[in-house]
Amino acid sequence: MSESEDRRLTAVEGGAADKTMSRRGFIASVGGLGLGAFLGGLAVKGFILPDTVIAVPASKGYLLVDTKKCGGCETCMLVCSLAHHGKSNPTLSRIQITRNPFGKFPDDLEQIQCRQCPSPACVDVCPTGAMHVDSANGNVRTVDERKCIGCEKCVYACPFTPSRALWNHEDKHAQKCDLCVDTPHWNEDGGPDGKQACVESCPLRAITFTTQTPIQQEKGYMVNLRNNHWNWLSFDTTDLGREAEFKLPARPAAPSAEASKE
Amino acid sequence: MAKGGYVGKILYVDLTTGKTEDIPTEQYQDWGGGHGIGAALFWDRVSDKTVDGFDPNNLVCFMTSPMSGTGAPSASGRTEITGIGVQAYPIGWFTRSNFGGRWSAMLKYAGYDGVAIQGKAKSPVWLNIINGKVKIESAQDLWGLDTHEVQEEIWKTVLGDLDNRDWFDMSKTRDGGRTTQKPAVVCIGPAGENKNRNACVIHDAGNSGGQGGFGGVLGAKNLKAISVLGTGSVPVADAAALIAIRNEIRNKFGYNVDDPTREVPVPGVPMYGTTTNEPGYGGLAWIADEPQRPQGCQGCFKNCRRSFASGKANGNSCIESIFWTQSGVVSEQMEATTLVDQLGINAYDLNKGHDYLYALYKQGIIGPGKQIESNLPWEKYNTYEFIEALLHAIAEGTDIGKDLREGITRAAVKWGRYEEDTKSGLLARPNWGYTEHYDPRLEVEWSYGSIFGDRDINEHGVNWYVHWMPLVCVVVGQDPPMTAEELTKHMAEATGVGDPKGWDYSAEGIYADSKLKAVAWHRHYSRFWIQSMLFCDWAWPQLASFNTEDGKGATPDYEVRIYKAVTGEDLTYEDSLEIGRKIWNLGRAIWTLQGRTRDMEVFAGYVYDQPTSAPYPLPIIKDGQWVYDANIGRTLDREKFEDVKTRFYTLEGWDPKTGWPTREGLTKVGLGRVADELEAAKKLGVGAQ
Repeated sequence: MSESEDRRLTAVEGGAADKTMSRRGFIASVGGLGLGAFLGGLAVKGFILPDTVIAVPASKGYLLVDTKKCGGCETCMLVCSLAHHGKSNPTLSRIQITRNPFGKFPDDLEQIQCRQCPSPACVDVCPTGAMHVDSANGNVRTVDERKCIGCEKCVYACPFTPSRALWNHEDKHAQKCDLCVDTPHWNEDGGPDGKQACVESCPLRAITFTTQTPIQQEKGYMVNLRNNHWNWLSFDTTDLGREAEFKLPARPAAPSAEASKE
Repeated sequence: MAKGGYVGKILYVDLTTGKTEDIPTEQYQDWGGGHGIGAALFWDRVSDKTVDGFDPNNLVCFMTSPMSGTGAPSASGRTEITGIGVQAYPIGWFTRSNFGGRWSAMLKYAGYDGVAIQGKAKSPVWLNIINGKVKIESAQDLWGLDTHEVQEEIWKTVLGDLDNRDWFDMSKTRDGGRTTQKPAVVCIGPAGENKNRNACVIHDAGNSGGQGGFGGVLGAKNLKAISVLGTGSVPVADAAALIAIRNEIRNKFGYNVDDPTREVPVPGVPMYGTTTNEPGYGGLAWIADEPQRPQGCQGCFKNCRRSFASGKANGNSCIESIFWTQSGVVSEQMEATTLVDQLGINAYDLNKGHDYLYALYKQGIIGPGKQIESNLPWEKYNTYEFIEALLHAIAEGTDIGKDLREGITRAAVKWGRYEEDTKSGLLARPNWGYTEHYDPRLEVEWSYGSIFGDRDINEHGVNWYVHWMPLVCVVVGQDPPMTAEELTKHMAEATGVGDPKGWDYSAEGIYADSKLKAVAWHRHYSRFWIQSMLFCDWAWPQLASFNTEDGKGATPDYEVRIYKAVTGEDLTYEDSLEIGRKIWNLGRAIWTLQGRTRDMEVFAGYVYDQPTSAPYPLPIIKDGQWVYDANIGRTLDREKFEDVKTRFYTLEGWDPKTGWPTREGLTKVGLGRVADELEAAKKLGVGAQ
C-alpha cells in the first residue's frame, strides 16, 4: 500500500468506520455529499473500504468509468436500455451521463454508474427482498421484478445523486445496474462473469470492468484509462483535479503500441 | 407501419391561432423521415409554393428520422429543418438545414416524430413540449437573450431549482418517468429575432443549422425557441441486431483510442481524422492549448467535436470553429466562435465573407466617408475587437450590418458589386449566393449537386475520400494509404454506380456520363440516407476504409442492416435510392413552381473564367493511369457544362429544355399528383423529344 493510500485508509478508520455504526449509517456518511465533505474534496484520491463493515458478500464485479475520457454521446445509455428492454430510452438506462453543454472541462460532464456498494442501502431498505444480492450471478445487486411492489424505497435510499436505483415507469418496477445479467436483447453473455453492454459499446472506451474492489471516490469508481495515444490527439491525460499539469504533446514520433501499455 | 423507429405522430402548430394538431406519422412513412416528410408536409399544406420565406404561411419542419434517439451509429442525434429559405439568391428556394446534438432524440422521447410550424405569433413565444404536452409560452422575457442565455433560462423554467445532476420527476406520479437530462432546446439569437437572412438556429453549444437562414424565418414567426423533454421509449424492432451492428462498426471501422490501427504521424493535425475517424477531429486545422475532451452527438461512434477547460467553442467543429482566425491567437478564435453562436449568425456567410469586406476596405470602398459607409474598426481587422464589432453590427443591423443582415451576397448586390466581384472571384459564391465550400471547377458532384438543387449541398461523404484523404497525406508528408485506382474501385462498388470513372476529376472526366451517374447517385443517396434517415454526413456513406485491411467501407450493407434492425422493414439499397430520387424530384417540382428555369442554373462568372491556382488533390485518369493530381489551372467550360445540363436533366427524367420534371419522370417515382399540380401551373416538362 502506498503512503498516500495508507493515509486515506487511516482517515476513514479514524472517522466513519466505527464498528458500532449501522450499515446504513456508514454508507450515508461516506455517500454523496457526506463523502465529499469527509475527504475534503477531489484532491484526495480515494480510500479502500474497510472489510469489517461489510455484512453482505461483495459484488464480484464493478464498472469503472473515466469521466475525463467520456465524450457525452450517450451511447452507453442507449445500449443499456436496448440490451435490457429492447427499446431505446435514456430514462431507463442504468448508467447515466449528465452534461452541461456550456460547462468547463472536466466539470462539464459526469458519468454516473452504480457502485455495487459493499453495503447496499437499496438492498437493505427493500421490504420484500426484491432488491437483493444475487448470489447466482456474482453477488450483483439487482431487482427481482416479480417481488417488486413499487414502493420506490430503494430509489430514495441510494445515498448518491442521482439515485442509481431507478423506477421503470413503463413496466412499473424498480431496476438498477445488474452488470448485464438480465439482457434478453443482447447477443452476448452479461454479468460479472461476462460482458457489459456499455463497456463493449463505448466508442471512446471510457468504461471498463473489474473484479477487484475498486478505490472509492466522491464521483464513483474511477480510473484513468487514457494513455499516450490519447495525449497524442491533444486530449488531457492527467488525473481528475490535475488539469494544471496538462501539456500539448510535442514529441517527434507517434507513440508506439508498447508505449501505450505504460 | 414499421415495427420500430417511429413514435407515431408529428406535431403541427399554427402560431397564428395557437392551435395544435397531431398528424399520424404513418400517413408519411413512405417518405422515410427528415427531409422526405418535411418536403411532403410542405407540399400538402402550403398551397402557394411561391410563398416568401418570411411569410407566415411558410411551413417550417423540424423532423427526426426512425433512427433518431435509437443509438443507430452516427445517425441518432441529427435534426432536419425544411421550409422556404431566405438566404439563397436570387430566390429563397425551398431548402433544408440540419444540426446535430440530441434534440431529435429528445423530441422522440417526448412522443413526436417531428414538429411542423406555420403562422406567426402575435408576440414572441417559445414552444414547451414535455411528454406529449405542448404549451405555447410567452417569450417576452427571453426576447433579446443570446442563444446560450435563452437555453439556460428555459432549463431553469422547466427544471426549477433542481440539482444539476438529480432526477427530474416529469409528473410526480409513477407514470411520468424521470430524467437526468436537460431539456433539448433549439433557439434563435438576436440575429434571428432581427430576421437576418444569415441567422441560424442553435441547439446546446455548437450545434447550428445555418444555411437557408431559418433563424430569420423563426424570427419572422416570433418563435424564440422549441424546448423538448421526454421520458418515453423509442421502439426498436431488433435491439440485439442494432447493438451488434454498432459494436461491429466501432471495432472494425472506428478508431481504437487505446491502440489505433492508424495514427496521425505528428500531433496537432486534427484533419488527419478524416482518414482515421479519431475523436475530436472536427476542428480540422486547429487545437487549443488547454485541457479538453472529445464530445459527440448522441449515438456517434466517432465523437468529432471537443469541450474545453475555458468552456469556449464547446461542441463547435468545421467552419464555425475556423471562420475567423485572423488574430492568430487560438483563444480569440474560440471567443469569436462562441460569439457567432451566441448571436445566432450563420458562420458560413462570413467564411470568405469578412475577408471580402476587408478587401473592399483596403480598396477604399468601405470605410468612414467611403462609398459604403462604415465606422467599424477596419484598421484593426486582425484583432478580436474588429470581429466582435462586425458580429454585433450584423446581428443588430447597425453600421454596415444594416446591409449585411441581408447576407453578404445580397449586400454585394445592393452595393452594385455582385456581378464584378463574383466574376473576378473576389466574392467566391458559385451557386445561389452561397459561399464556395469546395472548388466548384473541380469537385463537381458538390457544385453540380448544389446548382441543380437549392443550396451548397454540404455532404462530405464523397469529399472525405476523394479530396481530404490525399490532402491530409500531403499535409503530413505521407503516401496515401490507398492508390487512386483502389479508391475509385471501392467507391464504384460501394455506391452501386459500378464505374470507377464516376470519380475521375480530370478535365474530361467532370463532363462524362459516368460522372453524371455518380452525381445522380449522390443526390439520391443523400436525400434518403443523409437528409431523411439523418445519418451524419461526417460519418456516412463509408465508401472505403483506411482502418481495415481490405480497404472496404461499411456502405451499403450497414445502412440497410441498421434500417432493418431499427424499423423491422426490409428495404433494399436500390429501393432506398429510389425513395431518395422521389424526395429529390419533389424538391425539383417545388423549385419549378418557385420559378426555376434551365437558364438560372449557371455558376458565378469566376467558375468559368478564373483558373484554379492552388493545389487541390483529387483522383484523375492521366495518360491512362489513375493518379492523385494537384489540378492547377482548371476552369469549368461553359459549353460543356450546358451539355452536362442537357444530359443530367435527361438522366433524371426532366425536360432538357426547361429543366422541369416531366409526367413520365414523376409518375415513375409515384408522384403523379405532383405532375398534376405542375401541369395546372403550366410548368410540367415535356421530356426528351
